[in-house]
Amino acid sequence: MTRYLVARVLQAVIAVFFALTAVFFLVRITGDPVILFLPLDVQPKDISEFRHLLGFDRPVWVQYGAFLGRALHGDFGASLRYRAPALPLVLQRFPATAQLAAVSLALVAAGAVPIGVVSASRRGSMADTVGIAVTALGQAVPGFWLGLMLMWIFGVWLRWFPVSGYGNWTHFVLPAFTLAAFYAAQIARVTRSAVLDALGQDYVRTARAKGLSEPNVLARHVLKNAAIPVVTVFGLNAGQLLGGAVVTETIFAWPGLGGYILNALLGRDFPVVMVGVLFTSLIYVTMNFLVDLSYLWLNPQVRFG
Amino acid sequence: MKRSAVILLMLGLGTLLLPAGIVAQTKSTQVTIGIGSEPLTLMGATIVDWTTNAQLENVYDLLFTRDPKDEKIVPWLATGYKVIDDKTWEVTLRRDVRFHDRERFDANSVKFTFDYLLDPKNKTHYLPRFKRVQSVEVVNDSTVRFRTSEPYPSLLNDISLPGPFMLAPVYVQKVGIEYASSHPIGTGPFKFKEWVRGERLVLTKNPDYWAGPVKIDTVVFRVIPEFSARLAALLSGEIDVMKDVPPQAVDTVNRSGRATVRSTVSSRINYLALETLHPGPMQNVKVRQAINYAVDVDELIKTVLAGQSTRICDYVSRFDPAYTPAVKCYGYNPDKAKQLLVEAGFDPSKLTLTLDTPTGRYPLDKEVSEAIAAQLGKIGLTVRVQVNEWRSHLDKVINRKVGDMFFLGWGPDLEPTATIAQLFVGSLTYSSFGDPKIEEMIHKAEQITNPQANAAAYQKIQEALQPMAPWVPLWQQHDLYGVANWIKWQPRPDEKVWMWEATAK
Repeated sequence: MTRYLVARVLQAVIAVFFALTAVFFLVRITGDPVILFLPLDVQPKDISEFRHLLGFDRPVWVQYGAFLGRALHGDFGASLRYRAPALPLVLQRFPATAQLAAVSLALVAAGAVPIGVVSASRRGSMADTVGIAVTALGQAVPGFWLGLMLMWIFGVWLRWFPVSGYGNWTHFVLPAFTLAAFYAAQIARVTRSAVLDALGQDYVRTARAKGLSEPNVLARHVLKNAAIPVVTVFGLNAGQLLGGAVVTETIFAWPGLGGYILNALLGRDFPVVMVGVLFTSLIYVTMNFLVDLSYLWLNPQVRFG
Repeated sequence: MKRSAVILLMLGLGTLLLPAGIVAQTKSTQVTIGIGSEPLTLMGATIVDWTTNAQLENVYDLLFTRDPKDEKIVPWLATGYKVIDDKTWEVTLRRDVRFHDRERFDANSVKFTFDYLLDPKNKTHYLPRFKRVQSVEVVNDSTVRFRTSEPYPSLLNDISLPGPFMLAPVYVQKVGIEYASSHPIGTGPFKFKEWVRGERLVLTKNPDYWAGPVKIDTVVFRVIPEFSARLAALLSGEIDVMKDVPPQAVDTVNRSGRATVRSTVSSRINYLALETLHPGPMQNVKVRQAINYAVDVDELIKTVLAGQSTRICDYVSRFDPAYTPAVKCYGYNPDKAKQLLVEAGFDPSKLTLTLDTPTGRYPLDKEVSEAIAAQLGKIGLTVRVQVNEWRSHLDKVINRKVGDMFFLGWGPDLEPTATIAQLFVGSLTYSSFGDPKIEEMIHKAEQITNPQANAAAYQKIQEALQPMAPWVPLWQQHDLYGVANWIKWQPRPDEKVWMWEATAK
């Protein structure tokens, strides 16, 4: 197990390193941020002087070396746009994203898994048809459209919930529902096919032959075996959500990571982009690791080492 | 579904539902302003960014400001100025002004502000603009002298625009720039209270404001990046003021019973530049004139912009002293356009042109560009519209990677040196047109400090430019603000959202 853990940590370090390196060079291919900062009426000569002042006239390899040197000491530099250290700027955005992700994932788990199970266990029934139709719709509707519709119906017209912003529980309802609708569709469909798959296995036939009732068969034999693909997809979704849901956060003016990192990218705020990449790649690596660990518990045949 | 279709559907639905949503309005003196992004810093004189400065203008003051009606320069923290010689300006200051922490505003504050702004170590974005300012000298408590490296006729213009907000020297030196960047102290009508990054900036009234009583108790700037979400927030009563209501949503806002659209003629001009820096048909003056005759600007204003623009024929705005009726519009004449193209040796049906446009930067920019393409199609031209995200559009313009034409705005345009000299000389990229005779005329005009003579020189330049047809001048956009009915406030041409000018009805 220790060997396994050490190997995983090494893998994680390598993955994060390559993500940072790739993004470092990719964002620089698109140009530097200098002209976005200066007034439009500035002459080209002044632009190059300012570029020199910020150090963007150095060869990109030199910039990369300087970045690595500082990053190893935990220094990611100051945001070019906000003129404040980049790391805390990004970290400040995480709680709002994490809260929204948690609420959305809870909604997904509570809504989608039961739909998937019912759909599968009554295959071909009315419930199944409705379940499939609703989930297909959930995945087909673009997030920004659903978000705006919810905002206009429940915010502007009915005035049940605030249209945007961050605050008490009422602020969570519309964005969390918007996010959950998309991921619920995916989870419900994965659950349905996993349960169907498990229902066709020999051990289910054996369990039924033993005379176990159908709910008992489902609960004791099917669900745990069907859980692996569901947990895998759920873990990936959690990774995406924790990295910030760009569209939903932007529409609902949610002060989370997604919109912030996107804006940094558009504004070529390199230090913030790098911290954002570091942070989101760490989240992905961690979520993958947690999913793998859950296999140990879900399927005793899985062994690491 | 296409995004535009969704918006139309929403607006349609919105108009059906709105009358049901009217609520009683309670009087309150908290104004909440929905704004697209948070301030990048709260330190004045640092960053060029409309959203940042629109918020900071409520905390800090400038030496000179602009009259909200005609945009003439008026003294603010200054009491007046004198041109001592070509390279020396003397500015006198008010003696009765204090910063929010009771520190006195005086000549030292002006010197400190410019020393900060011009110190390369601080990397302020205004450094290139004010590079010609060599030093600011304290003559006495209430007098300073600006010494410039060369004649700088637009100095007064540049210091009357958002940017060089007066900083408090004792305070900034005591707490340091980093702290002052998130806890600003100014002389302005509102004091800093709270800044929650990504969410809101809260300001409270400065009861001792030197320019007179402040009538709004609290001003909150709330970050709402999506325009449709800002519109929803305005209609649901969560915010009281928003900028840039889309022209097609004006009726929705006006019928809401809660807010109305108030408009102002902006000092920002929009134009279609004809790119002459690369070899191509646009280098032929007859082709450029033909394009001018083939674009029906009045029709664009009427149909695309719902009348919300003021036509210009000049290369500057109507607020600019160099604006002159002597420059006439080409006028819509498709037959003449076709004839000019033939004279230039082009068969319109075999000519394919590219038009670069930003999207979402100026009111209906993409839609205007598409309509222009359609109008040019009527004389047989094929125009491919290339839609760019704003920042890559700017990149393309500056690095000369645009096609045959591009759509751009320029503003605030209140002074010719900052417009004509910047557009038609040097880089030439924003106009993509250069001519040795015009450049020479500009270099002469740039040295003239007398305001009347300066304006006259730039008027002559425009008259010389007009037959060369460097652009299709389009219009001054109208800025459309959605404002809650309970607020008495009229928007200004210079995009300043200054709540000192607001009262509750």
